[in-house]
Amino acid sequence: MVDENKVAIIACAGMDKALGSIARTCAFKIVEKLRPNETVLICIPPLVADVKPHSELIKKNSVITIDGCTERCATKIASKNGAKIKGRVFVPQSAQKYGLKPNTASDIGPEGEKLAEKIAEETVLLIDKILGK
Amino acid sequence: MALAKDKVGIISCSGEDLPEGTISRVATRIVLEKLRPDDTVTICLPLFLAGSEDERAFARVFPTIAVDGCSKKCAETGTKKFSGKPVATIVVSEIMKKYPSLKVKSKEKLSPEEMELARKVAEEIAKKVDEILCKKIK
Repeated sequence: MVDENKVAIIACAGMDKALGSIARTCAFKIVEKLRPNETVLICIPPLVADVKPHSELIKKNSVITIDGCTERCATKIASKNGAKIKGRVFVPQSAQKYGLKPNTASDIGPEGEKLAEKIAEETVLLIDKILGK
Repeated sequence: MALAKDKVGIISCSGEDLPEGTISRVATRIVLEKLRPDDTVTICLPLFLAGSEDERAFARVFPTIAVDGCSKKCAETGTKKFSGKPVATIVVSEIMKKYPSLKVKSKEKLSPEEMELARKVAEEIAKKVDEILCKKIK
């Protein structure tokens, strides 16, 4: 049973783009290291395959989407499945802002790691705001 | 006249839920970049599921292999739902049973032991790719 006070994170899985891998890395940093007790990571494919509890959870919990490219798949899929989206993070914009460039989808490299950390730190501020901290 | 070379589309689970998902993702990249770069392309599962007609059309025309991390088989289910049944499905948790000494626990960065398992899964995918392309030639 997932606490409804947790913020659900839905991130692009990025198989073919380095910025997709940044989105995924960033989501892990938030959920496993920065805010493990306040967040839950939602895997995209089970949402579309209607696997519970994922599909129910995003309707009850506040959701933050992290998109890796202009297709914005995480946001589109969350929205189509009735998610309560409270925040959206767009990795290409952050990459531009920080001037950091990841290597490849398979190996994001040191700049990619740093970029994922920066975005994760920004996203945490959004999570705290949503939770009223 | 040169015929367009057939490609196999690999649709991998994105696997944020389980370490097996990360294995499926890494194994897929090994096939695409090292083992069968000329014979395979990846289909981005979220893009496919979000409604990209290009990705869905490819999966309708070309053979696909779904690489799933667990028995939920989301990659296979999604492909069936929007394009057609994949020619083959590889389930990482099933392959792991053949290598009980190889344990997985990381979702982010793989250990050398986890990388070894990813390579084993990649070899299974490459074998399926060869089977599919050979079948088509016959």
